[in-house]
Amino acid sequence: MSDPWIELNIGPQHPSMHGVLRLKAKLDGEIIKELEPVIGYLHRNAEKLCEMGYYCDNLVYFDRMDYVGAMNMEVGYLEAAEKILGVPPPDRAKWIRVIIAELSRIAAHLVWAGAYGLDLGMLTPFFYCFAEREKILTIFTEACGSRQETNYMSIGGVYQDFNDKIIEEIKDFLATFPKKLEEIYNLYVKNDVFLSRTKGIGVLSKEVAISYGVTGPMLRASGVEYDVRKAEPYLFYDKVNFEIPISHKGDNLARFLVRFEEMRQSLKIIKQGLEKLPEGPYFNPKAKKSMMIRMRGEGEYYARTESSKGEFGVYIVADGGVKPYRVRVRSPTFKNLSILPVLSKDVMLADMIAISGSIDLVFGEIDR
Amino acid sequence: MVDIISESIGKDNRKIILVSLENLIPFMKEMRSKGFDHLSLVTAVDRKDSIDVVYHLHSMERNEYVVVKVNTKNSVVPSVTGIWPSANWDEREQYDLVGVKFDGHPNLKRLFLPESWVGHPLRKDYDLSKVQYINMDEDGEDYVTFDAGDGW
Amino acid sequence: MSILQWIYGVLSFLGHDIGYALAYIIESIILVIFVSVMLIFMIYLFRKYMARVQQRIGPNRVGKFGSLQLIADALKLMGKEIIFPKERDDLPYKVAPFIVFFGLVLAFAFLPYGNLSIFGNLTVTYSDVSIIFIFAILAIMPIGEVLAGIGSHNKYALMGALRTVAKDVSFEVPMMLSVLAIVVMASARTPTSLSLESVVTTEILPYGILEPIGLLVFFIAMVARASYSPFDMGESDSELVSGYSTEYTGMRFALFYIGLFGTIFLGSLLIALLYIGGFNGPFSSQVGFIWLIVKGLILVLISFTIWLSMPRIRIDRLVNTGWKYLLPISFINLVLAGVLTLGLGW
Repeated sequence: MSDPWIELNIGPQHPSMHGVLRLKAKLDGEIIKELEPVIGYLHRNAEKLCEMGYYCDNLVYFDRMDYVGAMNMEVGYLEAAEKILGVPPPDRAKWIRVIIAELSRIAAHLVWAGAYGLDLGMLTPFFYCFAEREKILTIFTEACGSRQETNYMSIGGVYQDFNDKIIEEIKDFLATFPKKLEEIYNLYVKNDVFLSRTKGIGVLSKEVAISYGVTGPMLRASGVEYDVRKAEPYLFYDKVNFEIPISHKGDNLARFLVRFEEMRQSLKIIKQGLEKLPEGPYFNPKAKKSMMIRMRGEGEYYARTESSKGEFGVYIVADGGVKPYRVRVRSPTFKNLSILPVLSKDVMLADMIAISGSIDLVFGEIDR
Repeated sequence: MVDIISESIGKDNRKIILVSLENLIPFMKEMRSKGFDHLSLVTAVDRKDSIDVVYHLHSMERNEYVVVKVNTKNSVVPSVTGIWPSANWDEREQYDLVGVKFDGHPNLKRLFLPESWVGHPLRKDYDLSKVQYINMDEDGEDYVTFDAGDGW
Repeated sequence: MSILQWIYGVLSFLGHDIGYALAYIIESIILVIFVSVMLIFMIYLFRKYMARVQQRIGPNRVGKFGSLQLIADALKLMGKEIIFPKERDDLPYKVAPFIVFFGLVLAFAFLPYGNLSIFGNLTVTYSDVSIIFIFAILAIMPIGEVLAGIGSHNKYALMGALRTVAKDVSFEVPMMLSVLAIVVMASARTPTSLSLESVVTTEILPYGILEPIGLLVFFIAMVARASYSPFDMGESDSELVSGYSTEYTGMRFALFYIGLFGTIFLGSLLIALLYIGGFNGPFSSQVGFIWLIVKGLILVLISFTIWLSMPRIRIDRLVNTGWKYLLPISFINLVLAGVLTLGLGW
């Protein structure tokens, strides 16, 4: 005798699955009894591809992991690869990376904010978010010529120096964005129906979150003050002044608020970065183009960075060759997604969609 | 105090502790009780004749990172899912891609690749020249063929 | 002098019987054309308005200001391959969109439209029980949606149909009760208080001023009936893919889409007629029709604004809203209407 529940296959092609997540759900009416995520529909085995490419080649695979906030992925890979190869970037390049990574974080959070509205059936804020994101992508275009998979950074520095126009554009963005951000924020939090869909839904406790390896805004919304930028500062994050937003509620609304506060903090970091941006070389001469494929690395290094989704770790094992021996990526969303079956037990279908939206899923990163 | 084989400092200034296979579970339990509540990453590295499994442990309170390594000849390692639930998917992924069998794992199935996939791609001896095609059967489950079938 | 008489005047050489029959047919055709044109205009208006709200331009390629975009879309939908699900329940699956669409057009035939200069009264069909008739037709349309959901043999469609039923059942009663309150008040002044026309013509003040609670309840119920955000339970497009219309393609899908806009328009006209005076207004003997359309379109724009700014409410909260809040409120409203009518003699 089989159980009396409806089996529902949600995805991989489904309007609210943010890519190719497939969920095998068992429903009792509208209530979810069992949920099993099936992933791997976007699997490209970037880790194997990284073993086959030179250290400088592999950056492109990282761009395609978290494709909405690609710059943070590049920072993560280079943190490990540069330490393995022993070519530290100069100060100017580091500051440029800080600025660009924070812009990228804002861009990623804006995608999330827009898509979360869509998950809840709210059409309009999506376009407000994307209009703002477009400005950031214009800055990226100015910096390196491409919008999403930028491949802007390279081993030992960045591909191109900041010119005056980019700095001008970033300053323009800093001047106009805070007001727009408040407008988007108000579109959400002043809406009672939005609050009723998020407040007290999908509550994640501190202990469960840590034991499942949840990091990033999701963990901070559950009341753990853990941000790699503070815990183990990389680049120049120890030289800028910012706060880690946390909330103790742990529900969807808390995750929403934490992400919005993070965008405000990112603006602060960008502002300080522009002030402190030194003159000088933007590239380590040891890593010039002719040297790129001859660089050899030794040892193993685990670099963790804070991407827009959480702790992004890159573990490189080198054997003295020109190609890495083993690359392992700790993708934050992969861990964050594993909490979904726990959170969506005995909730309604509509709430499950709201919870899965609040995790901020990007499938390039989960499936790698 | 569980015996360890060796202790060193890695390039990233993290303590690397090598433990033997049979001491892994008691050692991990000890680490858990010491406050390492966050298992950040489980990595299996194919060393051609053996497989290293590397655990990155992190303590949220003390902000301390420790790397635990274990070496296995026959690619079987006890599972730590009972200690950290986050190991569940990590171990499934490593089983899928490297082919390490995690003994005692509650649901050791492939995570990314279909269940009938041949070989483990991150092994050094994996044959990349062989193309495998994924098809879907009537029940919506994936299976693999070596020649291009109807759907391709 | 109504439009029927006017057409008959042209056709009177055919004799009484044939003349009237032809006049009725022509009048019906005019009605269908009017409804279609209004709906196409409304969809165009919606897309332009949505674009403005969302900082976009909206359709601007086909025709001047994109005015022919809708026709292009309709042609595209007609040319699309129609895919039938293999295990469908054939008859319900195929009939359902037509039930929705023709039920809608039928309802328009019973609305009083008021006067328009030389055409006289534009009302298509007179009935002493038109209120009952219109709401009976409104209750047919969800049947089409439910049939579509069940006939598709698809779990999303089935769940969409279940949600539609839950939604409609919980909002039907408050809606009818608030209409009943108007009938009660109108009965003091007219013997045919179930006729929408005489309800509107005999009113002293718009009923929305006398019964603001009724207006509120009726408006919310009409939002739920038309099924757009925050009450778009049937589609629930981020949860149930597209709800009961998941398995529909081409023209049949278009009929559901038109049905949605048609219900918004019908609901707006009903609110305009019942609560804010309908075709009454300055010079209503000449331009009453214009008043009705203007009031209707303002309400349509209000509906669009709600649609575009609201997320979807959860189904259990929706049902709770219907039964726990709207129902008692509409009962109170009915009692108040009785008190006003009997006690104060309004």
